[in-house]
Amino acid sequence: MSAASALRPDLKPVLVQLLRAAYPHPTFPDGPYERTADKVLTELDADLWHRVVLERGLATLDREALADPHAAAAEEYLRGIAQAEFFRFVRGVAVTTLYDDHEVWDLLGYEGASFDQGGYLHRGFDDLDWLPDPRVAEYDGEPLQLVADHDELPTG
Amino acid sequence: MNTHGNPIDNDTEAVVIIGSGAGGGTVAYELTRRGIPCVVLEAGPYLQRADYENDEWAAFNQMAWLDKRTTSGSWRVAQNFANLPAWIVKAVGGSTTHWSGATPRFHDYEFRTRTYYGDIDGANLLDWPISLADLAAYYDAAEKAIGSTHRHGRPPLPANNNYKVFANGAERVGYKYYATGPYGTNAEPYDGRPASIQDGFNFQGDKSGAKWSTAIREIPRALESGKCDLRTECQAVQITHDASGRADGVVYLDAEGSLHRQAARVVCLAGNSIETPRLLLMSASGLHPDGLANSSGQVGRNYMRHTTASVYARFDQPVRMYRGETMAGIIADEARLDTARGFAGGYYMETLSLGVPFLAAFVEPGSWGRDFTELMDAYANTAGMWIVGEDMPQESNRVTLNTGVLDQWGLPVPDVHFDDHPNDVAMREHGYQRADLLYEAVGAIGTHHTPPYPSTHNLGTARMSARAEDGVVGAYGEAHDVAGLFVSDGSVMTTGAAANPTLTIVALAIRQAEHIADRLGRGEL
Ligand SMILES: Cc1cc2nc3c(=O)[nH]c(=O)nc-3n(C[C@H](O)[C@H](O)[C@H](O)COP(=O)(O)OP(=O)(O)OC[C@H]3O[C@@H](n4cnc5c(N)ncnc54)[C@H](O)[C@@H]3O)c2cc1C
Repeated sequence: MSAASALRPDLKPVLVQLLRAAYPHPTFPDGPYERTADKVLTELDADLWHRVVLERGLATLDREALADPHAAAAEEYLRGIAQAEFFRFVRGVAVTTLYDDHEVWDLLGYEGASFDQGGYLHRGFDDLDWLPDPRVAEYDGEPLQLVADHDELPTG
Repeated sequence: MNTHGNPIDNDTEAVVIIGSGAGGGTVAYELTRRGIPCVVLEAGPYLQRADYENDEWAAFNQMAWLDKRTTSGSWRVAQNFANLPAWIVKAVGGSTTHWSGATPRFHDYEFRTRTYYGDIDGANLLDWPISLADLAAYYDAAEKAIGSTHRHGRPPLPANNNYKVFANGAERVGYKYYATGPYGTNAEPYDGRPASIQDGFNFQGDKSGAKWSTAIREIPRALESGKCDLRTECQAVQITHDASGRADGVVYLDAEGSLHRQAARVVCLAGNSIETPRLLLMSASGLHPDGLANSSGQVGRNYMRHTTASVYARFDQPVRMYRGETMAGIIADEARLDTARGFAGGYYMETLSLGVPFLAAFVEPGSWGRDFTELMDAYANTAGMWIVGEDMPQESNRVTLNTGVLDQWGLPVPDVHFDDHPNDVAMREHGYQRADLLYEAVGAIGTHHTPPYPSTHNLGTARMSARAEDGVVGAYGEAHDVAGLFVSDGSVMTTGAAANPTLTIVALAIRQAEHIADRLGRGEL
């Protein structure tokens, strides 16, 4: 656990609640949100300004409004504080952290590094089977008309 | 200092090349193979294939140009990425390390836009001093260097999942000119490089080596020639000239921040279209009070970034767009001049895949809440494309020195100012509509219109012109005002055309190197 969250362990649960409501995914467990919260709190070590606004912002958050992160009311409440500095800061860190989490990649169906497994050449780079196989060569009929007749330069 | 290749003395008047990307790397190879000694100054490190990472943020942090920059103007990038106007690389190979590989040529009319488009309000259009015919042989040479698929006997890449959606949609809306290339990654072994293993990480440097970059081809060959002294983590900060006004040296910083000066007979500037004008502006002198080579006042102006947009479409069945080549799919049907569409110039549609980390950051920057998470929840069933078309050069779209903000060395950072031209907006809107139709034709249940990313294509800030009053460099890229100073990157583009720029940058660099070698051989430089 980072120095900052050790300092204010009480901040983490409410931060997790905020993250869940801001990035509501029905299939996500707590783990990714908790790791993202840790990252946000670590960033505060070097950033006094965001530390004070975040501490204040989280302390005054309406936790009732966020009780159900998937409820329309939660998003509505967050829209009201969308421009608050602490929330902007949280989103800035969260969007590059939550979606960089390997458990999230799994949940969304992204497989990550592939070079060490030989890429996807023999692992489904072309396994889409609900459309016919298209042409890969260039069209061999008439070439594209590059300039429409009405845009041609006057001749002569 | 990190040096590679054969050392050249600081007092020896060499050809000094600033930057080792598409332009600089090509010039270095083409000159050294003719036996001409070159010093290459590269601000970034020498990353090798083993260093590249199959991880979007790790790779970005490893190689992107992250030195401070500022933005201004009404473009969306200034709002969401205020200090990241452009997505370019600081490493040997420059942005060809990141590039995906689409290599269409410019069309003939695109070298003569002032003639064809007329006087468009607010656009600073100008015909190039060269034509497609002047470049044809160099396009051939560039395609062979890159190994473009579908060209000179190189076979096409196979269809990956993202392409299957894209090409079937194209066929159903009546487009004809679609294919998996031309594309700068091998479908079969070529030129010492292997065939693609479809790993999906060619933006991240491509560990397999199937993708062309100057880091894998031109720079290693220049070093093998015995004529190249490559100095990495060395950033040029000034170009100097002698009393007669000829370029005669480059002042640069090494990794420790110490200043050095390399004598030069010829200077080739290829720092990409933000650092190139920055360096010219930082090189102001008594003879050139408004910046080196800037008697026209055009240095830094006419900054172009292509009219871009992306569309991500959701389906009720899996796509897995991330499997396979990032951009091996091109539709050329809209890359033509037809003002009946409501705008001048044309655009391409190209497949594009982002992984989860980048899609989250770029699909709708700043977005959150259920609208956003629904896009991410659909990831596995999503197909993507990029729209890339000609944007209008505008004098007010401009790179300037922001003397109020200094970088880590204490130098003024570049400010990048950009406003869309109404022609750009009309083209982007057309592209969004066409992309929607295409994806709906294959059953999309929703599409999302993603705004432009930080600029991957940066052009026009030292433009080529027949007359010295209209631009910065002449037909071979030599500065109108400074003998011996050449610009060797995309900054020279008079207008941007619809095509992705790198093939043209390489063709121009091959042509320029031949010209420099000829003149050196005749003792005229
Ligand atoms: C993600 C991505 C995808 C792309 N895909 C395509 C594509 O499919 N097709 C296409 O045509 N193009 C593509 N591009 C664009 C392509 O990468 C660029 O057009 C091309 O690399 C530009 O070449 P350049 O020589 O102007 O600059 P770069 O290749 O960027 O090289 C400039 C080099 O100069 C160095 N430098 C800058 N300033 C200094 C200094 N003061 N001193 C020393 N060194 C300096 C930099 O570190 C860098 O290495 C893509 C770009 C990106 C980022």
